[in-house]
Order: sequence, then structure tokens, then C-alpha cells
Amino acid sequence: MKLKQSLFTRRQFLNGLLGGWLGALAASFLCPIVKFLFPPTPEPDQVILPLADFGGVAPNSAKIFAWGSKPGLLKKTNDGRFQAFVAVCTHLDCTVTYLADQKKFFCACHEGWYDENGTNIGGPPPRPLRHLVVTIEGENLIIKKEGVA
Amino acid sequence: MNIRQISKGILAWLEERLGLSVVMDFLRKKTVPQNKHTIWTYTGSLILLFFGIQVVTGIMLAFFYKPTLEEANKSVGRIMTEVPLGWIIRSVHFWSASFMIAIVFVHLLSIWIIKSYRKPRELTWMSGVFLLVFTLTFGFTGYLLPWDDLSLAATKVGTDIPRSIPWAGMWVTKFLRGGDDVSTDTLTRFFSFHICILPLCLLFVLCIHVYLIQKLGMSLPVPAEERGEARRELPFWPNFVYREMIVWLILGGVLISLAIFFPPSLNKSADLMAPAPEGIKPEWYFLFLFQTLKIFPARILFVSGDTVAVSLILVAAVLFFFLPLIDNKPEERKGKVITLFAYLFILYAVAMTAWSLLG
Amino acid sequence: MKEKRKFRIFIYIIFLIFSSFLSLFTITADAYAAKISFSAFDLAQQTAPPAKSREAQAKAQPEKPPEKIIPAPRNIKESTAIYVFLGWMWLSIAVLIYIIRLKIKEADRLYAIKFFSPEKK
Repeated sequence: MKLKQSLFTRRQFLNGLLGGWLGALAASFLCPIVKFLFPPTPEPDQVILPLADFGGVAPNSAKIFAWGSKPGLLKKTNDGRFQAFVAVCTHLDCTVTYLADQKKFFCACHEGWYDENGTNIGGPPPRPLRHLVVTIEGENLIIKKEGVA
Repeated sequence: MNIRQISKGILAWLEERLGLSVVMDFLRKKTVPQNKHTIWTYTGSLILLFFGIQVVTGIMLAFFYKPTLEEANKSVGRIMTEVPLGWIIRSVHFWSASFMIAIVFVHLLSIWIIKSYRKPRELTWMSGVFLLVFTLTFGFTGYLLPWDDLSLAATKVGTDIPRSIPWAGMWVTKFLRGGDDVSTDTLTRFFSFHICILPLCLLFVLCIHVYLIQKLGMSLPVPAEERGEARRELPFWPNFVYREMIVWLILGGVLISLAIFFPPSLNKSADLMAPAPEGIKPEWYFLFLFQTLKIFPARILFVSGDTVAVSLILVAAVLFFFLPLIDNKPEERKGKVITLFAYLFILYAVAMTAWSLLG
Repeated sequence: MKEKRKFRIFIYIIFLIFSSFLSLFTITADAYAAKISFSAFDLAQQTAPPAKSREAQAKAQPEKPPEKIIPAPRNIKESTAIYVFLGWMWLSIAVLIYIIRLKIKEADRLYAIKFFSPEKK
């Protein structure tokens, strides 16, 4: 399609090319800078807890362990099964605690309540607590992300 | 309303309140003389470019660096291995420091030889000497921060040098080290010098330096002034700025390429109790001073060789600071001798550096 | 017309290089084993093992800190991205210098014919 008149003058074109390319170069310098300023904080694939320290957890009580840089809770149910949760409240990231007498998880920040399986039952939390998969291998408890082999 | 109208509107609104168009008007009127010395006028803004790069990369490094005895080396190691592209940022910071100091030397020597410090530009020179001291101190304090065995040794030697001056020197060493010996307090002190005190001092003196340059304009070399030549001039904006942009692009490109292919490594964490490692030497910009100290004998008459050497260097520094006042007759023989001294100094510094590297 | 087509092809190549470098930086694919060796630098030995478990690390022998850390890209993806970035940077510098030289000629000619004086903007 041929235009009757040029959209812009040669000077405008050159000025735009200069400014635009300088801008592109500057933006390409920003990419690595942004990548530097936002380093990844990956979660661990698995956490190994020695049974010696964690096996002695009483039924219907929970013990804190480190899930990467987040807190985790290892809970033993009344029938001796192990459950593990990421102890981060789904509301605004406070650390939850397990109240054995009420068999509920409680978040003190805004009075959020979760039942003994981590489902949110009261207060602001919008989602249940994240489950982690616990297996026993020899002398250790292996805790893994849900859904990973 | 298209974008052009909107931006014009915003600029007009700001102009009514800030009145900053005086800056642009001034820049359009400002001119740069065109003669065989014009090439040296690029050095000033280049120093600013590399300083800007230092500030940006320095802030990024400071996000991850931890200035304590146990964590310093580890945090630098973490920057180099875990943080994405951290090693490039550290490498750019390292290389830009060397570039900045190299161009500071070129700038200084060109002004000395062309004698731009003549009346009325004496204060520009003196503020420039302060800037030189700050820049070298930046380099010295930054060198300790990775806290590896070489940098600890260099700092021990470097902070020991003022002690050779009787009475006053002891206090300088104590002030630098935060005590009698290099310790965890030295590291913290050097860190706060490097990221807080020195940047503030440098920015303050830089404002004075740049203001004086704008106010007094660019000087003419001595022979041209003698002949009362009409100046061939180049407008600063946009002609000179375009040329500067080319220089910035090329040198910036060289910096990044060097930083990527020759990044600095990191030795293991320094041990305060360990003996000095072999082959300690300061950064290249201190080598000529280092070698000067080494060639003085241990004792000269009643005083130690070090005292004589450091005193001589201090006297030279004071003479250097007052150079515009000393060189009050630049066209006559005294002026020519002072220019000769500049060339002698270049020869001396290069020879001493080469000797230090070979010996 | 030939100039238009040459120019268009030039723009396509630039766009290709720029977007390839952008995509290399942003796609978070895992590194695959390097069969090709890079001459300019060797891929870095990771000095810290990937974060597996704090407890396992604590139980294992406390790691001896490495003697010297030599920086280098961590995987082939990073090496390639760096090369592409350097290529893009030098290409941009060449193009920008070409355009700026044209602008310098323009500005010098305008100054010579005293286009802006006596009423300076």
C-alpha cells in the first residue's frame, strides 16, 4: 500500500531509531540486573529427619522442623500415623501451632483455625494447610513434597 | 490528545513550578573548545560514567554482602555461585573500579600537562585532588571487603604505613583499624567508609568540582591563550554529547566484555592468626608507592627508612595540592619545569610499577 | 524497493537475536548435560551442593570451604545467554555508533551554517 505522504521525516526516523535502540540496549542491561535482584528461593525436594529425634513425638502432638526456609509441623495422630504440613498460614504467612486439646491448628495472628487434617474451618484462612508426604526409611523419616515421586 | 501533546503538557506543568529549563538553556549555550587537546575533555565524564556503574553494581552487591568476620567471605562466595549472574555483577564492579582509577590518573595528568589549573581554576584543581584521595580510598577500602587472605595482608600493610610518621601516624592507624590491630572492627569500619562516608564526601566535593567547571568554562592551552587566538568551538549540546556517547558506548562495551571473560576469583576466608601469604601486593594503582617504600633502606641516620619515605610522599602530595599556586608563571621557565615534572612522574610511576610486577 | 527489503531483513535479524537472548534468560528450563565444551570458560563447579536437606547436611561431615572460587556460568544455558548478550551488545554498539555519526554530521553542519544563532533556544 503506497502512501501519498511519508509518515515521518528522515530526521524523525533517525531520532526514533537512535532513541529506541538506546532504550532497547538499556532494557537488555536491566534483564540481568532484575534477575540478580530476585534470586530464586527453591524449596527442598525432601527433608530427612532422624527417627531418634522425631520418632518420640507423642500421639496427638506436633513438632516443628525446617522445610527449607519455611517452618513445617510433624504431627503424630492418635493411631500412630505421621502427618506433615507446611506450617505457614494460608492467610498472611504466619506460623501456625497445633493445639492438642482441641485437635486443631491455630494461627494466632488473625485467629485462623484448621482441623486436625489441616482443612481450614474458621477465621480468615482461605485454603487448607499444605500437606507433605511422610515415609519411614530405616532410621529416618523422609518428608517430601506432595505429588512428587 | 496524543502522546506528544500529553508529554508537552506535563513538561510545561513541571517547568512552571521547577523552572529547570535554565539547565537545558545553559547546556545549549555551553561550548567546548576544539583543538588538539579536546580529546582529554572526554576523561571527566568517563569518570562519572564508571562511578555511576560502581554505585549501581555496588548497591546490588550490598544486597547480599554481610560485613562480619564469619560471613564476609562466605557471602561473596554466595554472590559468585548461588545468586544468578552474581559473578558478573561482582566482576563489573571490580573492573569498573580499575577503569575509574585509570581514567582519574589520565585526567589528572592531562590537566597537569595542559595546565588547566591556571587562574581562575585553582579551586577546581584542589577539589580534584580531594576527589583523587577519595577515589583511591574507595579502592583501598573495597579491597578488604571480600576478606580473603590476600586482601587481609594488603590491609595490614596498608594501614601500617601511617605508623611510620612519629606521633600523629599512630592515631591515623588506630582510626583506620578501629584499634591497634586489624580486626572485625576494621572490616565494619571499612565497609561503612566504602558505602556511606566516602560516597557522601565524594558527591559533595564532586558537586563543587562540576559547578566550578560549568561556571568557569573550559580553559585554553597556554600557547593558544598567549597568541590570543579566537576559539574554535563546539556546542556542548548536542555536538559534544553525541561524541561523548560514542566514547561511553565503546568503553562500556569493553568493560562488560572484560568483566565477563576475566572475572576476579575469590580466595578462602582470611585467618587473622595465619602467617602472611606469599606474593602480597596491593592493587595495581598502589604498586608504584609500594615499590617506592621498598627501595628505601631500613634505617637512614636516626630515623627509619619508612619514615623518610612516607614523609617524602606526604611532602610531594602537599606540593601537588598547591600546584596551581606554585605554578604562577606558567609561560616562563618555571612553568616548563613543572610540565617536565609531570612527564618524569609518569616515567617514575610506570617504572616502579613494572619493577614491582617483575621483582 | 531493494533497500526496503534489505532493511526489513536486517530488522528481522535484530529482532531474532534480541528475542532469543530474552527467551534464554526468562525460560526456566533445567540445565541438560553439556556435551559441547566451551572454550572461553569452563562451566563452574558448584561449590555448594543444591539445597537438599538441612538435617542431612548437618549429619554429614561439615564441608571444607573451597580453596578458591573461580567464577563461571553455571550451565550451558547461561553460557549461551552470555554469548548471545555480548553479540547483541556489540551489534547494538556498532549500529548506534553509525547512527550517532550521522547525527554528529548533522549537528556540525547546522552549527556551521549558524542555524541556531542569534536566537538560541
